[in-house]
Amino acid sequence: MPADEIPVAKDPADALAAAAALRRLADQIEDAAVEQAMRAGWSWPAVAEALGVTRQAVHKKHSKRLIAAGVTLRRRQ
Amino acid sequence: MSAIDHYINAIMKQGAAEAWEDGSADTEAHHLLLALASHEGTAAHAVLSSVGLDRQAIRTALDREFEHSLSMAGVSLAAYDLPKPSRDPERRPGVGASARLALERGYATATGKKDLRPAHLLLGVLNTGIGTVPRALALAGVDRGDLMARAQRTLATERW
Repeated sequence: MPADEIPVAKDPADALAAAAALRRLADQIEDAAVEQAMRAGWSWPAVAEALGVTRQAVHKKHSKRLIAAGVTLRRRQ
Repeated sequence: MSAIDHYINAIMKQGAAEAWEDGSADTEAHHLLLALASHEGTAAHAVLSSVGLDRQAIRTALDREFEHSLSMAGVSLAAYDLPKPSRDPERRPGVGASARLALERGYATATGKKDLRPAHLLLGVLNTGIGTVPRALALAGVDRGDLMARAQRTLATERW
């Protein structure tokens, strides 16, 4: 969508709700994408680099649920 | 523990389960609303039912609010075909800011701990014009003011 076609919420309540919803959608996409990548054999450093965060941060946020789901985790590339 | 303590514990537990299911880090006010609608035998449940708000209707309204809010930034949820991510079975959601506010507002509507009943908690969740709950109710065509008036009326007549 071209930039001039993106609707701009004029009401602050709509704009704030959009920000909250986008944050939630970003979290959902991250959860799904990290799991997809780790199931496909990506390493923690590669996933962290792709997300632009530290390896420690991505490991802390996602490792428990992936281990619980039985995903085989690779430490290194 | 008193009956209201048991009830609040049950609502917090159910709210946390709703947050877990959502993948939300914290229990928020809309998770408490889902929990209030899930517990039968209270005036709060009866008030919600009287306008057709059972758990599923609220879930549908919340999903609609999410899609609507995303559309305010030009994003369509339908564009994302996300696989459902695995959840950490051990994760315990915290209590989020909106849930804390709802509880505080609910307690404030009662004249004391002995007076506190489920309908006070419902009033606490409803008593704001800002955030996910009022937006979801408005999109579902529910008159929040009328809902609050119904809850107020039950407090005068119902013991639980």
